[in-house]
Amino acid sequence: MSASSAPLVSVRGAQLGYRGQSILRDVHLEIEPGAFLGIFGPNGAGKTTLFRGLLGLIKPMAGTIARRDPRLSIGYVPQLETLDAAWPLSVTEVLLMGAHGRVSASDKREAHAHLKRVGLGDRAKALFASLSGGQRQRVLIARALMGAPELLCLDEPTSGVDQPNKAEIMSLLASINQQANGPAILMVAHELEWLEECAKGALWVQGGTVRRLAEDEIRQGAHSLFGEVAR
Amino acid sequence: MSDLPWDLIWELFRYSILAALVAGLIAPLVGSFLLVRRTGFYGITLPQFAAAGIAFGFAILPWWEETFGGLMHPTEMGDDVHLALGYHLQWAGLFTLVGLAIMTWAARKKDGTETGVMAASFAVASSLTILFSQHSAEGDIFVTELLKGEILTLDFHEFEVLALCLGVVAVLLIAFRRELIQTSYDPELAAVLGRKRLLWEGLLILLIGTTVAASVMTVGPIVLFGLLVIPPLAARPFARSMTSFLVLSSGFGLLSAAAGIWTSFHYDWPLGPSIVVTAALGLVPAKFVRKA
Repeated sequence: MSASSAPLVSVRGAQLGYRGQSILRDVHLEIEPGAFLGIFGPNGAGKTTLFRGLLGLIKPMAGTIARRDPRLSIGYVPQLETLDAAWPLSVTEVLLMGAHGRVSASDKREAHAHLKRVGLGDRAKALFASLSGGQRQRVLIARALMGAPELLCLDEPTSGVDQPNKAEIMSLLASINQQANGPAILMVAHELEWLEECAKGALWVQGGTVRRLAEDEIRQGAHSLFGEVAR
Repeated sequence: MSDLPWDLIWELFRYSILAALVAGLIAPLVGSFLLVRRTGFYGITLPQFAAAGIAFGFAILPWWEETFGGLMHPTEMGDDVHLALGYHLQWAGLFTLVGLAIMTWAARKKDGTETGVMAASFAVASSLTILFSQHSAEGDIFVTELLKGEILTLDFHEFEVLALCLGVVAVLLIAFRRELIQTSYDPELAAVLGRKRLLWEGLLILLIGTTVAASVMTVGPIVLFGLLVIPPLAARPFARSMTSFLVLSSGFGLLSAAAGIWTSFHYDWPLGPSIVVTAALGLVPAKFVRKA
């Protein structure tokens, strides 16, 4: 296997949880370059725990979560509601938080290029908190693209966003993923319909386990899985 | 109205005036972080901890002097002002850090009791200030003057301590503002990008503690309460970025201090409360600006 096709992240027998209490057991999975994976499952099943484990925010209680390169570049989009609107940050200031190390002139140019790409090139000086939910989400995606990440991790990027903006965000993510040397994408999602259009696979989290679904499984079987959960 | 000419006022009270201006310029920078982190109440509670620390220092001074030697009695402070200031600053700083630790612990519990813990801490720190003051007549006078905002008697050494401490705070806050903002605003992104979150959180706590301890020792809790919280509140509606928020807060603080100094000498009012009241006037135009 060449270095470029080796998995970005490999999980082997990982047990994940908090304060000694296990939530997910015996997790085995790999995230390959160019992947577009959705993480979904019922509320409280451990989607966020898996996501945080893959990001390195929590350490496995057993097993390993290994990155291809310890310096693997990761772009991160948090849930919008975790960001406090009381902060008077400009869009540019939010974007530059994604820069690695001290901010340089080239970081500023890169930030503006990403902002243009997400269709908000004219809002660089606006207050971040004054933008709509969909616009803020696009700014966060632009921020996550700083430094050309190999893996883009998004935590429910369509929550709190209206339908037209959801479609735009998913289409933007698909185009980012499909570009030459585009990053692999890993996103926690609640709404399956958007995943069906873009994702190349999914991680179904339920009952303390994680099961990988292929692209065709999402289309054929996930609706019934989702239906079970809804019932 | 005061009959004193301004050149005489400057000659007699220049260190008090300079201390008020330095506090007006720098305390709001720290206060801006308290406000956006939704910890504005720290601005009231922490100075009270610092005051309790100063009163505690006076209360144990005879024992300290007997045990460790080398420190003069408070009535002879003038013999080695830096040593005496350092002694009281250490207690103000220690009590402030204890207060910060209690409030950080309450915030991390996330069980909805944070505001209650802060209010209780304020009540306890205020009571301790009074109780400790009972054990030292000199301490009682010193702390009572601090609490009333009587800052006209500041000398060069006290101004020197304040200017040095707040100067270092301002330099570090400005130099590392990006890291401090990022770890406060989006701590998970900071962790993903490999930033040392504990280091930056620790630095911010240290800067808050230093500001509170040094300011309470010199300009007193009332002036500090006002300058930490009011200028950032007045600046917030006008801010179009975090950088402009910090600049405007600092500007409002300096303006408030200058207007308070003028009002105090012109109407013969106590300096500390005059600064706080004029700072509060800055909230009026802020009311008319549409919020973001």
